[in-house]
Amino acid sequence: MKTLRIYATQNLGLLIAIAIFLVLYLIYATQLSRFGMNVVLQNANEVVPLALVSMAQTVPVLLGGLDLSVGPLMTMINCIASEFLAGDIWSVLFGCVLCLVIGSACGLLNGCIVVYGRIQPIIATLATGAIFIGVALFVRPTPGGKVDGDLSWALTNDINELGYTYGWWEDLGWFGLIPLPAVFLVLVVLLVWIPFRRSATGRGCYAIGSAEGAAYMSGIAINRSKLAAFTLAGFFAACAGLYLTLLTGSGNADAQQAGSYTLNSIAAVVIGGTSLFGGTGGCIGAIFGAMVIRAISFIFRVIDENSIFGFLASPLLQSLVEGAILLLAVSLGAARVFRVRNRLTLFT
Amino acid sequence: MTKFAYAAAASLAAGLLGGASAWAQPAVVDGPGYLPECFAPWDQDTKYFQWEPREGPYRIALVNGFVGNTWRIQMIQTAKAYVETPEIAQHIAEFKVVSTGLDAAVQLGAIEDFINQGFDAIVTIAVSPDGFDRVIRLANRNNVVLVPFDNILDTDEVMMVNEDQWSMGTMSAEFLIEHIGNEGRILEVRGVPGNSVDRDRHEGFRSVMEAEGNNFEIIEVVGNWADGDAQKATADALAVHGHFDGIFTQGGSTGSVRALMDAGHPFIPIAGEGENGFRKLIAEHHEEGLVGLSYGQSPGLVAISIKAAIAALQGEVLPQLISVPVPVADYKTLEDGVNYWSDLTDNFFAVNEFPPCDVNITAVQIMAQTADDVTQ
Repeated sequence: MKTLRIYATQNLGLLIAIAIFLVLYLIYATQLSRFGMNVVLQNANEVVPLALVSMAQTVPVLLGGLDLSVGPLMTMINCIASEFLAGDIWSVLFGCVLCLVIGSACGLLNGCIVVYGRIQPIIATLATGAIFIGVALFVRPTPGGKVDGDLSWALTNDINELGYTYGWWEDLGWFGLIPLPAVFLVLVVLLVWIPFRRSATGRGCYAIGSAEGAAYMSGIAINRSKLAAFTLAGFFAACAGLYLTLLTGSGNADAQQAGSYTLNSIAAVVIGGTSLFGGTGGCIGAIFGAMVIRAISFIFRVIDENSIFGFLASPLLQSLVEGAILLLAVSLGAARVFRVRNRLTLFT
Repeated sequence: MTKFAYAAAASLAAGLLGGASAWAQPAVVDGPGYLPECFAPWDQDTKYFQWEPREGPYRIALVNGFVGNTWRIQMIQTAKAYVETPEIAQHIAEFKVVSTGLDAAVQLGAIEDFINQGFDAIVTIAVSPDGFDRVIRLANRNNVVLVPFDNILDTDEVMMVNEDQWSMGTMSAEFLIEHIGNEGRILEVRGVPGNSVDRDRHEGFRSVMEAEGNNFEIIEVVGNWADGDAQKATADALAVHGHFDGIFTQGGSTGSVRALMDAGHPFIPIAGEGENGFRKLIAEHHEEGLVGLSYGQSPGLVAISIKAAIAALQGEVLPQLISVPVPVADYKTLEDGVNYWSDLTDNFFAVNEFPPCDVNITAVQIMAQTADDVTQ
């Protein structure tokens, strides 16, 4: 019981994000005329790119910096992947690995500029973000791509559909209804984020975000942790880019879309309970933050125009209402500040 | 382990090569289609689609992307006014509008959501010309009629609606030649760079202007389809070059004319977009030399797309790519209260009439949509 209470106080932001998400999603689900696994699949598809890019944003934020290049990096990987995700299994695998390596390398580049160039992350990544968009435009001046249609169809569906498309297996029952995007997201969390979080390097990131001086004095390898954090951000952004490529079956060097992903990722990170000052929070919160942001837009699709909230459904008011709800969600995450006697306790 | 991996690889490769399983989709049939004077095929190679007819009334969704300029707002209001008209209202059980912003994943998600909700047809302005393969498959599988319009897709697997941008360029060029002759200095005010609409109008315009027998000096500036930008670009060009014999402006046409007036330049023939302000100025000054042609990429395209979607649901034969006749007016045909409105704002898009399609939403009906009660 005591451990549970400690867990709750330490992860209040995450719990609030989950609660907000559940409320919003419940509204959506009950308004739907038919709710089924196909709805969950569609929602998962829409959430996953933003969830991954928010995970990418989380890691530099834990250090106390913002990464403005996650959206552009994701767009760049999207454009590169649109050239490679075709052909036989080996070339597809090669393309995926190549994209992840390029993404990580770009993240490392960000890290090097921050660590060795001693430039503020927000400025360094503003510059590299522009470079990434430039590369994306160079790789793909006009939208398009040669992504294999069956591949993108199968991997953005449920487990059953993967089997049907390639003739591997037939109906697998309830197991077959699990959406693949959710599987991918869980795999990334289990295989990459959790091990990183538990490693000395990962704990170092939290320490740096809390108090860099103290971390240094405690003998934490500051540079290694920072480099690792930015590299991991690059890796997550590359995952997001890859998934977007599968989802859209094409590449598009859209700077505005990249910008909206970056900004939404910051909002998702904050809603998920990660402090912008660094040191507390994590990727799981960011995933729920992304789910909150998407759930807001889900609601607009089902709200009845003749109900008392009908005015919310006006397409011209949607951005305004979205922004207001977002602000409310972010404020709720920050509300815990009011409850503490001494704000320093937030950082312990 | 290696054996398994190899087997998996082999079957994956076979799957990639072998193609996909079958699903429901519109039948490709021979033309001519339904109501050809409205739903004209793009060219003679355009194929025709036919869906299984089904009982109405239908549930139709409009998935807009970007919202935030007059054109889009007017488009949404036009759609709402159109589904209220008696001949359409009888076919509509539910009409839903969402704007998804610039994120392709969200727009695709919204379309998929409406497919899941069991909507019969989805009308959309795509945020990207590519990337819709997944929802096209899903729409076909669930027998949903998907109709992209305005910003259409680079595919021939879905029914789409647009106006011929190339012909807007050629008709503008022909109009200028008719009123100027075969030589002179022309100002061309282009749209947003890199956009296919800008490219097609420009190339259509040049194909006529640069044809054999013409001797034009064409000065090119970028006006971004916006009044402010076009006005500045036109003013700069006037300052540098002093005199022009004619103007072709792709958009922000009101701004181009105002720059002309500000510079004290005499009125000259001009071809431009369908803004109400542009038409007001032509009507006011055409006797002083502002002979104008005003074509329009109309927000009313949404109405034709809805009409096409309903026709498709009723089982009519329709072209895959529908070319809507370009609505055009010139200084001789402009009439206050009919194709422009002297009492409405400048940046209202005056072009809404599509007589061949029986679509004629008046400005008054559209403006009524801003109020809550729509009276017919």
